[in-house]
Amino acid sequence: MILKGKTVKKGIVEGEAIVSQLPFSYLGDLNPETGTVAPKGHDLEGQSIADKIFVFPTGKGSTVGPYVANRAKQTGNTPKGMICIDVEPVMAMVAIMNDIPMVHKLDKNPLEVIKTGDYIKMDATDGTVEVIKKGD
Amino acid sequence: MLLTDEQKRMYDGEYGPGTQKAISMLIEYGEVWDAERMVKVHNVDSIIGGGEWLEQILEEVERVRAITTIHAGHSGGREYAKSIGLKEEVFQLSEKTEKETLDICVPKGFIPAMTCTPYLVGNVPMAGRVFSWSGSSGIIIGNSVFGGRGNRDAAPASVASAITGLTPDMLLLKKEHRYGQVLFELEDLDVENFNEADYGAIGYYIGGIANAKNVVVNGIPENISFDHLKSFLTPQPVSGAVAMCHIVGVTPEAPTVEEALGHKKPEMTVKIGKKEYRESWESLHTAKTDDVEIVFFGCPQVSVGDLGEIARLLEGKKIADGVKLVASAANEVYTLAQRTGYTNAIEEAGGIIVRGICIMGFPYAQLEVPATTGATNSAKAASYQARRGINIQYGSFEDCINAAITGKWGR
Repeated sequence: MILKGKTVKKGIVEGEAIVSQLPFSYLGDLNPETGTVAPKGHDLEGQSIADKIFVFPTGKGSTVGPYVANRAKQTGNTPKGMICIDVEPVMAMVAIMNDIPMVHKLDKNPLEVIKTGDYIKMDATDGTVEVIKKGD
Repeated sequence: MLLTDEQKRMYDGEYGPGTQKAISMLIEYGEVWDAERMVKVHNVDSIIGGGEWLEQILEEVERVRAITTIHAGHSGGREYAKSIGLKEEVFQLSEKTEKETLDICVPKGFIPAMTCTPYLVGNVPMAGRVFSWSGSSGIIIGNSVFGGRGNRDAAPASVASAITGLTPDMLLLKKEHRYGQVLFELEDLDVENFNEADYGAIGYYIGGIANAKNVVVNGIPENISFDHLKSFLTPQPVSGAVAMCHIVGVTPEAPTVEEALGHKKPEMTVKIGKKEYRESWESLHTAKTDDVEIVFFGCPQVSVGDLGEIARLLEGKKIADGVKLVASAANEVYTLAQRTGYTNAIEEAGGIIVRGICIMGFPYAQLEVPATTGATNSAKAASYQARRGINIQYGSFEDCINAAITGKWGR
């Protein structure tokens, strides 16, 4: 399946998807020293987003999120790429500052068509996302 | 994006690699929302971070191109740590980082205001002009009270705007994106006699409903004080992500409900009466006992007027044994309050006024004797502290100070 969307940060990457249904804040939601999602009760609690294609609805919270992501980048704990439904300024800057390829506004809801474990080939420069379902 | 010749020179690296990096980031940032041009930024308030990134973006930058203050951090606390009962080592690492940051930034024109209230220390946006501030309370106040135009910018975007004096023309900078979407009608509430905590409770309710939409509020007295506006607006991006709240009769762009809505129908109309007010108050006041261990004010940092109110209520009294009262202020506000005698009255009663730090995340866990119950008149601080498991007594200055004197919550 090929999805078409809009560039947030250019770049070409591929990797395994990890999907959250919750708006994400790098401050508070991520432990930048380990790459794992911190809060109790979060749908990715204890799981790592490092080196994955991270799929989530949108950003939220503190404007310092990009700095926390920058710290995670230094420890090798940022996602390879990011996909969200509709980005807001703080999350857009997470991608831009830290050079994480990212797309949003896809022609299908990524939270419905992408499942954790699917393999994603993403060309964020022209906004295309290829989803290879797990087991295919 | 269309760039002027001067902006092209920045992009081509004529002003050095830092300025080039800054404008490149802002171009990418703007392209996400199809911005067609850059606009001049007059006022910046920056949360500075990023280590190596900061060194890169400041490389060969001689001077910032906007009034640029540095936001409150956590590091100045060491000098107060002992009196508050905090472990001193908590602040040591951040103090070192902050000193290193200031050593790089201040010679380039960044003003080390160390406040979340830049508008109280001379960084004031003018109506219609563009600002880029990192703190959510400053952003909604800049848009809704001063009539400036500012987005919920990411902190590094504000740094890039300080360096270039530019930001992409997008989102709330454009008139058509500023109109209200959700209309709130206050009714059956004694707003004329509202205190700051009452306003905080209403603001907190509004944010929870509006989320990231632009808000119009009808029914606030036109003579509302600036301090009350601050209490009313600050919680809206805590329970939600509101950056523009038209207060009819107060906000420069909201002389009437119709104008605030851009002569369109609101997406939703919500009535706020006694029931909603009570519900919101109860959601902020989470304590189940009458215990009080710490009373804290200043999220955002207090004004001179606030310190005057605290001083009046504490005059000639003593804070109870086992209770700590902490107020957070900008250094300049503290200096003014010193000249009026307010700081004396507060400190003689046993209160502590901390300067230049953020108490939003009051580090209860880092107290030598950890506390579990706090009292505050800030809906923002109440909400964030409750998320950390602290029991909150929510009330006005008067409620909180009575509790500090008697050692028991008595509202």
